[in-house]
Amino acid sequence: MLDAHIVKKRREFTVDVSLHLASGEACGLFGVSGAGKSTILACIAGAEEPDDGRIVVDELTLFPPSLPLHLRPIGYLTQDTGLFPHLSVAENVRFGLSNGKREGSAAWVDRLRDRLDLASFWNETARTISGGQARRVALGRMLARRPRLVLLDEPFNGLDRHLVRELIVAVAEWQRELGFTLLVVDHDADVLSRLCPRVVAVEGGRVVQDGPWDALRARPATELLARLLAPL
Amino acid sequence: MYPLAGLFVPVGAWQWGDGSTIGGAVRVSLLLTSIAMIAVVLLGTPMALYVARAPSRERIWWQAILLISVLMPPLALGILLSLAFGPHALGAFFARAGIRLTNTPLAFVVTQIYVSMGYYVLGAIAALDSVPAALEVQAGLLGLDRSQTFWRVTLPIARLGFAVALSLAWVRALTEFGAVVITAYYPAGMPVAMWTSLENFGLPAVMPLLVVFLVTSLPLPWLAHVLAQRRSARA
Repeated sequence: MLDAHIVKKRREFTVDVSLHLASGEACGLFGVSGAGKSTILACIAGAEEPDDGRIVVDELTLFPPSLPLHLRPIGYLTQDTGLFPHLSVAENVRFGLSNGKREGSAAWVDRLRDRLDLASFWNETARTISGGQARRVALGRMLARRPRLVLLDEPFNGLDRHLVRELIVAVAEWQRELGFTLLVVDHDADVLSRLCPRVVAVEGGRVVQDGPWDALRARPATELLARLLAPL
Repeated sequence: MYPLAGLFVPVGAWQWGDGSTIGGAVRVSLLLTSIAMIAVVLLGTPMALYVARAPSRERIWWQAILLISVLMPPLALGILLSLAFGPHALGAFFARAGIRLTNTPLAFVVTQIYVSMGYYVLGAIAALDSVPAALEVQAGLLGLDRSQTFWRVTLPIARLGFAVALSLAWVRALTEFGAVVITAYYPAGMPVAMWTSLENFGLPAVMPLLVVFLVTSLPLPWLAHVLAQRRSARA
């Protein structure tokens, strides 16, 4: 469950949004670039600190006061994979598992490796693998810890279409299996609608529409939203 | 490399003496510089971490303060340290506790810390800047606290920069003459011993000390630099 009211001043406007996601729900944040979507995710993850508001995940208060990153039950994946370049792919995937958890998680890590097709470069150094491979490794590393809330910030941007399709299927599968709450930011409505039945449209730091994709497509709340949803 | 040709210029028969002057100076320099470097790393690393992660305006002020010790003329720094730690200032307080802050090993170490700290901290800040903040955020969200993140992510990635910073600080401290000759003429380290040998006995007496000086001051930072680069290349 995610219950958040986030206020964050930015140069152009103030982000001021309220979000409520039920446990295990998948929700997409949709809007033009610079609407404040990534700021919302960064505030929930702890990469940025809100100026005001309140963020609660499964009865754990993340803000205020700001909970240290290592205590947040969150998986956060952005375009920048954040892989540790000095470690191998295997070490990256196992990175978040403490020594005690590692033994118990061996079978789970093996499953992630096989499902994400990481075996062929499992022992290579992270800095030597391709961008698409790095994205799969980062996804595996994030899921290895079985987070309760997963935040994806345009995680498939710049990847081949077939790889995006595979990753969407994999994420949806694991969400069903692990039951994590999922919040995804993307400017591609196709990607978002395949992952998330619910969409929250954001413009200028405010929520302008919240509901299922069908309603958004049928009656977009703003002209900008309508233009964003129109075919090329 | 050309200045090394000076070693082969005929200056008369080199005077090695009984070795006690050279041995004593080498011992003083290596031992006290090592102690100073431990202090520089222990104090300077948290300082660099703080400044590197500080808001930009605060960071500019800290860097300006650190630059003062780097840019200050060594002789001026020596005189200022003598006055600041002398009997009319902080020295009186320490003297009451039986601690002398001029012409003692402690004075030698304190002076070396002052002359080298800025080099180490500024170098370490640059090394920390090379580590993307996103990696530290990820390490945190993967369950590591700040200290674990430093040891497992930040330091391994920035180690080459840290090695270079420490090398610069080591060379700066070991070869310091201008400030040390004012604050700690005794115990004589290699630079002061070379100067007194040159003054009293001329070039034939200083050449052996010069060779020992080069041999002891260059290899350690050179080795640290090469090892860090080899490990980075392997990773």
